[in-house]
Amino acid sequence: MIESIPLHWSFDYNQGAQKPDYARELIELLHLYKDSSDSRNVNTVNGQHRRHVYQILPNYWHGYQRRNNQNESISIGEVVVERRQENGDLWKYNVRYINNTNGENLRYRFSCRDEIYRPLHENWNVEVHNSCTDIYSKLSWDGYLTSIPEIQLRINNTDITAGKIDNSLPITCNWALFDVFPALVESNKEKVDSVDIAILDDLEQLRPKCRIGYLDTIESPISLVGYFLYGTGSLPSYWWIDTYGNTVIFSSVFETLVLKEKMG
Amino acid sequence: MNQRPNILFINTDQHSWDAISAYGNPYLHTPNIDLIHQNGVSFTKSYCTDPVCAAARSSWATGLYTSETGVPFNGGQLHPDIPDIGQVLKKGGYRSFHCGKWHVPGRDVRESFEVLYYGNDNIGAGGAAYYDSASTHAVADFLTNYDEKEPFYLQIGYIDPHDVCEYLHNHEEKRIPNPVEQGILSENELPPLPENFDYDIRETVLNRVCRRVDDALIHSRILKAVREWDELHWRYFRWNYYRFIEKVDAEIGRVLSLLQQTSFNDNTLIIFSADHGEACGSHQLFQKFALYEESVRVPFIVSCLGEGISIEKERFDNTHFVSGVDLLPTVCDYANIETPEGSQGMSLRPLVEGKDINWREHAYIESNYWGRAIITDQHKYVTEYIPKTTEDFIPPGPDEKQLGLVQLFDKQNDPGENVNLAYEPNYQEVIDTCRDKLLKQESQLNRQKIVHKGPQNTITNWGNRLQDFWQN
Repeated sequence: MIESIPLHWSFDYNQGAQKPDYARELIELLHLYKDSSDSRNVNTVNGQHRRHVYQILPNYWHGYQRRNNQNESISIGEVVVERRQENGDLWKYNVRYINNTNGENLRYRFSCRDEIYRPLHENWNVEVHNSCTDIYSKLSWDGYLTSIPEIQLRINNTDITAGKIDNSLPITCNWALFDVFPALVESNKEKVDSVDIAILDDLEQLRPKCRIGYLDTIESPISLVGYFLYGTGSLPSYWWIDTYGNTVIFSSVFETLVLKEKMG
Repeated sequence: MNQRPNILFINTDQHSWDAISAYGNPYLHTPNIDLIHQNGVSFTKSYCTDPVCAAARSSWATGLYTSETGVPFNGGQLHPDIPDIGQVLKKGGYRSFHCGKWHVPGRDVRESFEVLYYGNDNIGAGGAAYYDSASTHAVADFLTNYDEKEPFYLQIGYIDPHDVCEYLHNHEEKRIPNPVEQGILSENELPPLPENFDYDIRETVLNRVCRRVDDALIHSRILKAVREWDELHWRYFRWNYYRFIEKVDAEIGRVLSLLQQTSFNDNTLIIFSADHGEACGSHQLFQKFALYEESVRVPFIVSCLGEGISIEKERFDNTHFVSGVDLLPTVCDYANIETPEGSQGMSLRPLVEGKDINWREHAYIESNYWGRAIITDQHKYVTEYIPKTTEDFIPPGPDEKQLGLVQLFDKQNDPGENVNLAYEPNYQEVIDTCRDKLLKQESQLNRQKIVHKGPQNTITNWGNRLQDFWQN
């Protein structure tokens, strides 16, 4: 850890990942967002239209190699999480995920009900474009929840079941968690006991039993409240929320997403 | 079977043989690998040829041991004149496809296969969360579109659970949290320490120099970090390893679900295996590179989710020693293609079909260029070659005079390999017998000189370090 800029263990990948500039870049991104004129908008969770842009910093050691330019950003991509509130009780999400390492450019479209755990609503669609030069160039799938309930996916006109869900658990998508944790803060539930939840990762892989809960509160590099997400089939991840209701940092073994720009 | 089957070879990376819930492991949930097992035959005495990625994969590709392929460690280069599985199948009338991790240095995967997906920068290790998901997407696209008249061979190389290495690298210098104190996990959710967490320090020089000493040849920074670990750290490491496996199991599940909905299901042979295992705290080790069971013993399942191929369902074969060299002959047998001359492997098809045939009586494994093991029903014999004073870059063996220290374990009475019997006078006869098996096995290998400068330098540097140890 670089002594002058200590990071919380849940997103500190300074040394082990052989990225000495990691902390500097992460903090610069945080300040870029924090200093922007739009960052202090209040009551954002209930806003009509929200758009957050995250830089993807790599945490993994072997897959990342600094390019020739030592001053180049270590970023390996960008995520844009955009959503609009419609009919008062629905959030329509449009998430774009661009990863320069694996060549995939994904667009997720889905809806969630306007509740704390953002339960998935009706159907969804994912489009993937792959920039690599081999045979695979694109894929798309549609999905929906049946009444059982189970997850159904249709990939190139082939229907498959992607898992059944315990009816007692809320089911949401990992991309909606960017709003679930701020909602927990807003509802003053941030420090209650952990909660079981089902996650449909990337609208594709069901993690039928996960757990979310309060992790920690920190004041440096900025004031943040942290949460964890653990579960079957899921690598631990950590989510940090600022005092204005924004998920500012998401970190797992492979990547750290840092908020760099927001609207709403 | 009226027509030649499609063949789907699904492989994971760093996946120990017992890290599958259908085999009784209570610390993880792998419903999809379980499904492969439930529809096929699991070989429980299955061993990699060499507990490191590139070396083991060079054996899968060629049916040869790693002192023959030119890849006796990760930096080796496959000899150009050795045919690989993609080329062999293509010549035999199959469409040969590859997706995901390949990691056979010296052979351009795109020259041997039609490649579905191989990343932007050729997939190596690391980044499984990105690459494995993309590989599944590529296979989904393939399975829902393939309509050629030729049968296909498709190999899918998933990276996970190899990226447990990323967990280790990430914690080289940073503090690992105590998830119990953090209130994230309860202690009873963490797997216990393995029963063989302790170890007999009378190991080979090779293992000590590679994995134990302060400036160990392999990942000494991780070694330095884990020396500070307490019991809970080790248990949390094990807990994380199982999550990586669950993650790749879900990817496999997507492939199987799609396959089941296609017309290929009845006539697609599925082979599932892993290149090597993961020590996962056994003998206070992490990763692979060692010749203990956790690193060298891997799953090997031959299966079919439909009814078009004669395979007994949900059967364990606890009898026959299976090796990574058997992949190519097995695939060739099912594809009705002649196995390339010189292959060291044997087709598993007769065993899958329940036939009684002559079979090998031991497994043979190489490691870190100089390490060797012979595994019989009763014993495991581990030894090493002492590096030559003047290196000729021909992988060592068979050379009785050049053999170094020995580890001998009684597999029946000490399955955890806790007590090295090599220093017990009563076991000299067993050691002699095992050594003779080793030398006989090696006399049948076509060992080839390492010709590339990079791997030659590795041999020289490592050899010098080992020589220092032997001379002092």
